[in-house]
Amino acid sequence: MSQPSDDVLRDIHRRMVRIRVFETEAGRMAEAGKIPGALHLYVGEEAVAAGVMVHLSDDDWITSTHRGHGHLIAKGGAFDRMFAELFGRATGYCRGKGGSMHISNMDLGMLGANGIVGAGPPIAVGAAFSTKFRKTDRVAVSFFGDGASNEGSFHEAANMAALYKLPVIFVCENNGYGEYTPQANHQAIVDVADRAAGYGMPGVVVDGMDAMAVYESAEAAIDRARSGEGPTLLECKTYRFFDHVGVRGMGLSYRTDEELEEWQKRDPIHLFEARLAELGVLSRDEAAGIHEGILEEVKAGIEFAESSPLPDPNTLLDDVYA
Amino acid sequence: MQAPAVGLVANPASGKDIRRVTARASVFDNQEKTAMVRRCLIGVRAMSDVPIRYLPDASRLVEAALDELGFDAEPLDIVPTRGAVDTTRAACALRGATVVITLGGDGTNRAFAKGWLDAPLIPLSTGTNNAFPMMREATTAGAAAGVLASGDVPIEAVAGRSKVIHVEIQDQPRDIALIDAVLTKERFVGARSLEDPARFVAAMLTRADPAGVGMTSVGGFVHPLSAREDAVLKLEFEPGSSRVVHAALAPGRFERIGLAQIAAIPLGESMCLTGPGVLALDGERERVLRKGQHALLTAHRDGPWVIDVSKVLRHASGCGRRA
Amino acid sequence: MASQTSNGREITYIAAIAEGAQAILAEQDNAFIAGEDVAGAGGVFGSYRGLLDEFGPDRVVDTPISEEGIVGLGVGAAATGLRPIIDIMFMDFMGECMDEIANQMAKMRYMFGGSAKLPITVVTMSGAGLNMAAQHSQSLEVWICHLPGLKVVAPSTPHDAKGLLIAASRDDNPVFVVMNKLSLRNRGTVPEEPYEVPIGKANIVRPGDDLTIITYSRMVSEALTAAAALAEEGLEAEVIDLRSLQPMDTDTVIESVAKTHRAVVVHEAVRFAGLGGEIAAQIQELAFDDLDAPVARVGAPFSPVPFSAVLEQTYLPNADKIVAQARSLLGG
Repeated sequence: MSQPSDDVLRDIHRRMVRIRVFETEAGRMAEAGKIPGALHLYVGEEAVAAGVMVHLSDDDWITSTHRGHGHLIAKGGAFDRMFAELFGRATGYCRGKGGSMHISNMDLGMLGANGIVGAGPPIAVGAAFSTKFRKTDRVAVSFFGDGASNEGSFHEAANMAALYKLPVIFVCENNGYGEYTPQANHQAIVDVADRAAGYGMPGVVVDGMDAMAVYESAEAAIDRARSGEGPTLLECKTYRFFDHVGVRGMGLSYRTDEELEEWQKRDPIHLFEARLAELGVLSRDEAAGIHEGILEEVKAGIEFAESSPLPDPNTLLDDVYA
Repeated sequence: MQAPAVGLVANPASGKDIRRVTARASVFDNQEKTAMVRRCLIGVRAMSDVPIRYLPDASRLVEAALDELGFDAEPLDIVPTRGAVDTTRAACALRGATVVITLGGDGTNRAFAKGWLDAPLIPLSTGTNNAFPMMREATTAGAAAGVLASGDVPIEAVAGRSKVIHVEIQDQPRDIALIDAVLTKERFVGARSLEDPARFVAAMLTRADPAGVGMTSVGGFVHPLSAREDAVLKLEFEPGSSRVVHAALAPGRFERIGLAQIAAIPLGESMCLTGPGVLALDGERERVLRKGQHALLTAHRDGPWVIDVSKVLRHASGCGRRA
Repeated sequence: MASQTSNGREITYIAAIAEGAQAILAEQDNAFIAGEDVAGAGGVFGSYRGLLDEFGPDRVVDTPISEEGIVGLGVGAAATGLRPIIDIMFMDFMGECMDEIANQMAKMRYMFGGSAKLPITVVTMSGAGLNMAAQHSQSLEVWICHLPGLKVVAPSTPHDAKGLLIAASRDDNPVFVVMNKLSLRNRGTVPEEPYEVPIGKANIVRPGDDLTIITYSRMVSEALTAAAALAEEGLEAEVIDLRSLQPMDTDTVIESVAKTHRAVVVHEAVRFAGLGGEIAAQIQELAFDDLDAPVARVGAPFSPVPFSAVLEQTYLPNADKIVAQARSLLGG
């Protein structure tokens, strides 16, 4: 395991804050009625995306989930084109045809957020097959939730990845809920990582609120994948601070404020900032400056989106076929 | 003194860290842990009908076994958090029980001892690097607990007292380790496992066994030291040193580790470690030491009583007790 | 025995698929075939026999019985630069992988604003007549024709099987090549060299002036038998083999109906909500004034495919049923 340089630490921090600020403002925009459709926000889970993605280049592939903005941001997504997509503008990453649930960028190796729970793992297996077929050392990372781990697609993908020793990292973001259903009501196990052994790959439980725990675990799994040893299942225990959809969601009472507060005490950004300040890598003032700078960038992104043209209705049928 | 009782603490989190990937450690899934709990319970009940008190963990390891067996047992009044603190709280709540069976690794037993330092333990291994708990069939371990709880066998006759490293850190709560304390030049607790020997600074070991895995193996290959000896081993590391030990740092993983100093010191003699770095206790990075911050390590034989299952059962059979 | 002709040789439909697959792997370095029993066994129908030896296990890949995983693998591989040929042994198994087909493969390019390209070919088998019963005999092409983003072809002859398969593999879109199992032993003239049968182009397999029979896949041969029977009664049916169902060559259909003024649509799939309804609707939209009679449809009854031969034969559309429909259309 490498000792991350101060630059890498600041990079991880920056990725987390970019997600936090983007998502918080996106939530505000949605509540103000400015963003149409469903918005699944990643706030609380930032350490997972940042701790994994810092190891990847644009040539490595990821598949994402309905809660996908964080993955794209951590993979290098630009705020202006992301907001433009959320606002349904022609300048969005998907020209206004994907929206929040399908936001993607092939140039960044991001094979799309996905509105179908569990659809990503088989696609990641295909992307990994592709990198192995071409004899590159690139990997594919599939993000999915505890809910998706009950879909047949996950099990088929896990089996195939292990069978072919493909360079896949299955990153389960276990936030304790499949939509509104607590984990105890949707699976008889607590650790999704336990399922790995059934497919012949290692399964690891990771503290998903600790960016460095994710960083180190992801590094080990990615090294294993790159050296041709096959897939790993990393289960990151995490929590969504906002609701399943939007910020306050549909007002359903399915979890307690106390539970939320307990998890918020382990806010991944606060934990990481505290340690970076202790280490003298990033002072409190510097961290605050980063939040402010990113907020400015987010505001510029929103401005770009709002001033961007809506799609020309004549483009409706474009890109149904190549 | 409480009425006789058997305590049961099963750690659902043991055996799942990154050493499944960085080494070749086994995945210890919770189905297997529940199976072991089940066998333990059957063992206890075969010998005794004393109350069984258990930690209601988040994975319901014990409840699942009880449901299936139809046995009665009493859950401790603890709301599980899935953290090591659950085990420590369970230890506090179980104080006074005749005997406690723990299922976990070194970390589980350390967390337990933090709550009840001189507990009578039957520690069963379900962890990764397991110097403290034993690889033992759960059925007969349970039977031994049942025998002890029925009061026919005095604990002192069948148990040995463990050494404990007491850790005092400036401006931080006290801590302990049962097997080893290692200062490493890491900057984060991170994924917790000890990975890079090039960053090891110094260590104190209560036992050094070349047949063990982890820091105990490192010490064991240069200066074996048993759990019974009233001494601890002090190691200082030096990556470029000509003195290199080839040891099993983790299951399935040997490393060459450079050593500068090796010395056995008597119990009660302290060792001072200075930050910056991270202090690993019983194989897991636990405490961050700031630059210049000191940690004082002192070992005493004041830890858990570890019960010898064979001795208990032999003693019982010698008394003419029938299974 | 294959006999040489001036344009090619006579080989079976299954041999034509194998030749097409071989040609694709030979000409496209980034193409591979994946599916259940495609490598070691050479395909359960023999479609890929010999390819493992020639191209090796990296390019002819046996998969677990995991249709969703297989199609997902194809989608991911295609989106990241390969040209997969994915074999779904029986079309009936699409139920196992419909999400990857309908929500991923068909939509990825569009959802991503055109930034993704999915050059994936799915080869699958349709059709009844072999006592394979309800779960191995269906003609479910309408499922995939309803999904924007997919192309669907259904070859009726060995020639078209090879040519459409090669065309599909060279297309930058997902293309389903719906083969027919009762046609596997049919023989026909097939050129040795690789060639394309263009996707989206129908084939007038028999010219006629009195009515148009629009069909595809195995029903083409039934339609030709029916046309021969009708010819004995002095009625000349024009038979159109659509070959490509999505996109569909509506122009050829409309031109023919403008000439014959009568149309029968024939398919093996269940008649209700089958492609016949779509084709009939298009004819009445585009050629209403040319029609001398309502558009007739021949298809399977609203029933699962039965097992027992007598029931299965009762179930299947055939030349006699086509003749009967044609006669009633012509007031005979």
